[in-house]
Amino acid sequence: MSIEAVAPGTGSHARPVAAPPAGGDGTGALLSLRGLRKRFGALVALDDVSLDIARSEIHCLLGENGAGKSTLCNLIFGVHAPDAGEMVLDGRPHRPGGPRDALAQGIAMVHQHFSLVSDLTVVDNLLLGQARGVLDRAACAQRVAALADEYGLAIAPRARIADLSVGERQRVEIIKCLMRSPRLLVLDEPTAVLLPDEIRALLAVCERVAAGGCSVVLVTHKLAEVERAAHRATVLRLGRVVARSDAPARDMRALVRAMIQRDLSGLGAMAGAALGTDAVATAAAADAGAAARTITRRPSAAVVLDVEDLVMHDAGGVVALDHVGLAVHEGEILGIAGVEGNGQSELAAVLSGMTVAASGRYRVGAHDLFGRPPKAVTRAGVGVVPEDRHRVGCVPTMPLAENLFLDRLHEFRRFGLLDRRALLAKAAASMREFDVRASGADQPFERLSGGNQQKAVLARELTVPGLRLLIAAQPTRGLDVGAVEAVYGYIRRACERGLAVLLISSELDELLAMCHRIAVMYRGRIMGECDARPDERARIGAWMAGHAA
Amino acid sequence: MSAIASRRALPRIDRGVWLPLLAVVTALAIGALLVAATGVALPDAAAAFADGAWGSGYAIGASINRALAIGLVGLGFIVAQRANLTNVGGEGQIALGGIAATAMSLYGGASHLAGPLAFVMPMLAATLAGAAWGAIAGAMKVRFGTNEVISTLLLSFIGIWVLYGCVQSEALLRQPMTTSATLPESLEIPEATHLPRLWGEADVPLHVGLPLALLLCAVVAVVINRTVFGTMLRAVGANPDAARRAGMPIGGCIVLAMAIAGAFGGLAGALMLQGEQWTLKARFSSGYGFDGLVVGLLARGSVKGVIASALLFGFLRSGGINMELVANVPSAIVVVIQGLIIVTLAAAALWIERGAVR
Repeated sequence: MSIEAVAPGTGSHARPVAAPPAGGDGTGALLSLRGLRKRFGALVALDDVSLDIARSEIHCLLGENGAGKSTLCNLIFGVHAPDAGEMVLDGRPHRPGGPRDALAQGIAMVHQHFSLVSDLTVVDNLLLGQARGVLDRAACAQRVAALADEYGLAIAPRARIADLSVGERQRVEIIKCLMRSPRLLVLDEPTAVLLPDEIRALLAVCERVAAGGCSVVLVTHKLAEVERAAHRATVLRLGRVVARSDAPARDMRALVRAMIQRDLSGLGAMAGAALGTDAVATAAAADAGAAARTITRRPSAAVVLDVEDLVMHDAGGVVALDHVGLAVHEGEILGIAGVEGNGQSELAAVLSGMTVAASGRYRVGAHDLFGRPPKAVTRAGVGVVPEDRHRVGCVPTMPLAENLFLDRLHEFRRFGLLDRRALLAKAAASMREFDVRASGADQPFERLSGGNQQKAVLARELTVPGLRLLIAAQPTRGLDVGAVEAVYGYIRRACERGLAVLLISSELDELLAMCHRIAVMYRGRIMGECDARPDERARIGAWMAGHAA
Repeated sequence: MSAIASRRALPRIDRGVWLPLLAVVTALAIGALLVAATGVALPDAAAAFADGAWGSGYAIGASINRALAIGLVGLGFIVAQRANLTNVGGEGQIALGGIAATAMSLYGGASHLAGPLAFVMPMLAATLAGAAWGAIAGAMKVRFGTNEVISTLLLSFIGIWVLYGCVQSEALLRQPMTTSATLPESLEIPEATHLPRLWGEADVPLHVGLPLALLLCAVVAVVINRTVFGTMLRAVGANPDAARRAGMPIGGCIVLAMAIAGAFGGLAGALMLQGEQWTLKARFSSGYGFDGLVVGLLARGSVKGVIASALLFGFLRSGGINMELVANVPSAIVVVIQGLIIVTLAAAALWIERGAVR
């Protein structure tokens, strides 16, 4: 049996999930999970989850955001305790009281957010919490070299973490795990921050680790990785196991259907891109790109965003923006590609007025916005979907209605008071228009799902009076496929009406499907700019890695 | 969904009332034990407390007047709290208010003004002085990032010593020295600048400050809950980055919020001086600013909470003073009981919040 399709939604609550098949090599499972259940308040994060991790296998955990993948990892690693169900590790009950217990049991985990001290060297980080008494750096460096050799994890032991790229930091985290010679390595969304080449390298490392006898749990929502590396896969949806496969590469379509409740063929290009299925994404991107370019900008289209020679240094004096120049025309979507941390955040901050660049030119239409505050930027008709919607995009503790009109509350002033009835009415209209789902306009913003939060931010920024430019930074991060499609749908429709869009994203597939042109940032510089055609992928990849093509 | 929510909300409201009451009663019970431990007969102490707190029209009036000063500071506190600012400087703002009201009354020509202006102008001067004192802390926060807890606390000490200097120096506010026994305090302010009593002849010291304070309670409740400004304060307090992105004047909001907090402190000083004391002394405010801070904290952002806890502290203070005078209970015990109330109320608040989360 290759795939146990468990149709969700139809199942009665009490239906037992069939025991998963044991590992193929007949040695029995390394880790068995039976009937795991975990609630957080009213939210059921995991509901009756059973699965087996076999020895020496790469087991992919698939699912959209909020499916319960991270929660499952945290149960295995002892961060949380399950409310019900049991875990059996190598025939013995596994009830970790905390990560320390799990580590002692031979389980190691790389979290989405790294836990490295950036001022210390690689070796010192590895020694943290493990060494007793006098530090033996030389021995540690030797061990690092040996591991690096064995698994292909090239790293300079004496380098400072702060000087390493994200991919290199991840390697350090993995080495930290491997130094404990674990039986089970859990990687929570490890590929989200990596370049295409780095992803390939990481998957190769996983294969070697598995070949060496350690099981690997790989959490992801990207299908391409499953296709490439997984021995088996389990799909979670809304906290339940909805599908399993012993041959994921073959069962791709069924897995996708289980994961997103829709057929790939029925999916828009954006959704395909968001899922990262190579074949699908490329085909879809070709379609969409062509479609997008059918709304070719008229030769006479006016330049809306005009940026030249923008220079900025970060707090440490390092160049964050290195003579950046951009132009976006009416009705055009310009994508900014690049690995995160190459100046995209700084660019968005400068363009939204949150920080001031050292020098350069920043104009929107006739407005000179260089050094102007956010209010002036908004007045010039610029909407901003910030990268960090919780920190900049909203006031999480305040109601949705206030957040929908945060920049124009004064429009609701009546007799000196805030006319909340009018505010709520307009908010309800806006919620309908942008399909923001909440229990009501009065619901605190933080209680909305990520997708609805983002749609609310988008609703506000797309209704900025006199809107002519939208700056959207990582607008789909953390959203599920449905929300990704919705967000890009709104942006594209606004664009068709003549809006200029600057779209910053680290998801190249999404940019290829969405944009007319793509500019690539590397270390604060624009490495190059080209049409958003799939056949430019190689050139863009080279630019992203810092090679001038 | 809504049925569940309302069913849940009901016991929470109940809790919100009986838990604080239970907390106060518990603290008072422990206090009674402490009083007994000092060797004072409990009935004597209780009688003295009741007598001082509400035993006569005068006692009630005095208790309410104490509650007024404490409550105004608390009211200012919750305005600043909206913007996530903590005003610890009530004591200094009261001092500045007292100085300004005295100066205006004695030497500013207020007493020659027609009708109500005679007592309104000193109050106004006190309010402005307090506002300025608060605004300094706000401006320092905006300009240099100075933590307002520290700056208001230190400004408080400065204010207290400015007051001390004013009543020590004849060039400033000290009354003319006729003998070596002349006390270091100001002259009595002219009759016209006294706050008019609510009941002319009766021996109840309630004055126009009471209706004024109640009016201000209503104003504050409306401003923080129902105006654009109040909403902006909340946004600035909860997420300054998002507020800035939305084009709100963050610096202005912070300075203004601190100025309002200070203004209430200054006004409290004016009420104390023009309502009861009539001469400015070095120990003009014996910790009302700090009591106001506690009242503001206990109120947890609600005007009703300010009123309730200000009354509690006002009566507690009056009763405590009488307990000390009549029953010889050490004044430290009263302070201990106040501390106990704060601890038990904080515990109750935690409990209420946990109940809300579940």
